[in-house]
Amino acid sequence: MNNVGKILELFKSEVKIVNVGLEYFYKELRKQGVQAVHVVWQPRPKLEKDLEEILDKIL
Amino acid sequence: MPTVRNVVKKNFFRDSVQLLHLSEEAKKLPGVIDAAVVMGTELNKELLEKQGLLTREGREAGENDMIIAVKAEDSADIEGIISKIEEMLTAPTAAETYYYSIESAIEHLPGANLALVSVPGQYAKEVVKPFLERGIHVHLFSDHVPLEDEIELKKFAAERGLLVMGPEAGTSIINGVAVAFANVVNRGPIGIVAAAGTGLQEVSVLISRAGSGITHGIGVGGRDVKSAVGGIMTLLSMRAFEADPDTQVITIVSKPPSPDVQDKIINFIANEGKKKYVTCFIGGKDYEIPPTAKGRLIQTRTLHAAALEAVRMVSEDLYKEAVKKVFLPPEEVVKIAEAEASKLSEGQKYLRGLFTGGTLTYESLVIFQELLGDVWSNTPLNKDYQLPDPWKSRENSVVDLGEEEFTAGRAHPMIDPTIRVQRIVEEAKDPEVAVLMLDMVIGYGSHPDPAGAHIDAIRKAKEIAKEGGRHLVVLAHVLGTDEDPQNAAEQERKLREAGVIVLPTNALMALTAAIIVTGRTDEALVKSFYEKFLVGRR
Repeated sequence: MNNVGKILELFKSEVKIVNVGLEYFYKELRKQGVQAVHVVWQPRPKLEKDLEEILDKIL
Repeated sequence: MPTVRNVVKKNFFRDSVQLLHLSEEAKKLPGVIDAAVVMGTELNKELLEKQGLLTREGREAGENDMIIAVKAEDSADIEGIISKIEEMLTAPTAAETYYYSIESAIEHLPGANLALVSVPGQYAKEVVKPFLERGIHVHLFSDHVPLEDEIELKKFAAERGLLVMGPEAGTSIINGVAVAFANVVNRGPIGIVAAAGTGLQEVSVLISRAGSGITHGIGVGGRDVKSAVGGIMTLLSMRAFEADPDTQVITIVSKPPSPDVQDKIINFIANEGKKKYVTCFIGGKDYEIPPTAKGRLIQTRTLHAAALEAVRMVSEDLYKEAVKKVFLPPEEVVKIAEAEASKLSEGQKYLRGLFTGGTLTYESLVIFQELLGDVWSNTPLNKDYQLPDPWKSRENSVVDLGEEEFTAGRAHPMIDPTIRVQRIVEEAKDPEVAVLMLDMVIGYGSHPDPAGAHIDAIRKAKEIAKEGGRHLVVLAHVLGTDEDPQNAAEQERKLREAGVIVLPTNALMALTAAIIVTGRTDEALVKSFYEKFLVGRR
């Protein structure tokens, strides 16, 4: 809990950001010239209950 | 003959900002009178209904379905228009650096040290965990993150010395980088820890406007200072600032913490802290400053006071200059209020605050409780004053348009002004309304020109009042700096040209509004307010 070394390292470093979710935030970061990458994220599609149960058994 | 058509795409997801931009593009297509592409939440369906854009098909859509709604000049064109929108929807976005898994994204950004996560709250844990496991700090913007997930993530992170900023953290500023909704502020010796998003924005901006600056601003999320989470990230951030050689003054901003967490914060300052501190527990009770913290701990009640006192701890000269030049002296506020109050007609007695910032709403409510008593709100301090219908104001009302009822499946009002623009005009029709208050939050994340986007509605509102023989006072506070992409000075100029009175801080906007509607423009009252709310206690 008391180890703040990694936070101090962040404070001193060039901030490099992985954005997950709203693509808009990625664009806002790029506008600032921040090094960033964007992860296209979507909720998993809802499966039919039966299919989900079958998959649970197999996997 | 104009025709309306809805096409529902089952289980088809795009985020609210993408859909906002798509809707704007769709409106520009030839033959289109109006169009909207939205997720099928109840709120969105209601708004489509009001716009005359909802059909039976759309009404049956669920919240995981997307509705493409088009009103076209000619029914013959409508199929073509809809296929065009569908094409836009599936067109590949700029493919430069987009990845489909967290692992490959991290691999392609060597040295990644921060993740900005804004997925729906129920998925936050599974997205955040892999970053923490790889030693990467996280800013978690998502709301509706289960409390137990927040606790688990924060404990996991703290054990590894990592930050989880959020959930529901709207703002952080790390090494000058504006993360999510944040402003371009000066670098300087003040570190900020905030459990209040627009609170962090207001304090960092006011510090900057006063001529000082910040090292970093860490948003920890509102629940961090509640007992269940126990201030895990607040305390970790305070330790980090204690160890950071560039930070001289640490400012802590939040709504009232749970008493046990407040004790932890104050005990840390007293027993382990060596640096200077300013606390701003908006709406909280005064606490006793421990003897070991005397002289280096100041408590404040407003964001305005927190920023000023932090600057004062850096330099008494900067403070004196800022009090005079940046923040209005009491006699100026009285002058403005007197001039406006004198233009009001009999019967104009209420104020209506239409806010986009949650902390700015809250700070206004705290100030009004002192000066006006309880006021109606969708987020009231006193539950008896909960607006029965958040879409309709009554008497004195303050509405936070960033709340769930206005944002389900929609972009935040700092990005999409549609709902506020309509509400401004609605409020002006009420003959009892004297004052409208608007926060204009600029910076990264916000609308590219909020003042410009509201101007027509403000002019129309003033016109409606004028036709009824009334003068409508419109007050605004632009939260931002001249270095922000929207340029604060430029935003303020646009507002003033439309007859808006611009105040330098949210607290001063609330004070001015309150003394206009009460007509109590005596200097003694204003001075006592300054003493209590705009200056810290040692």
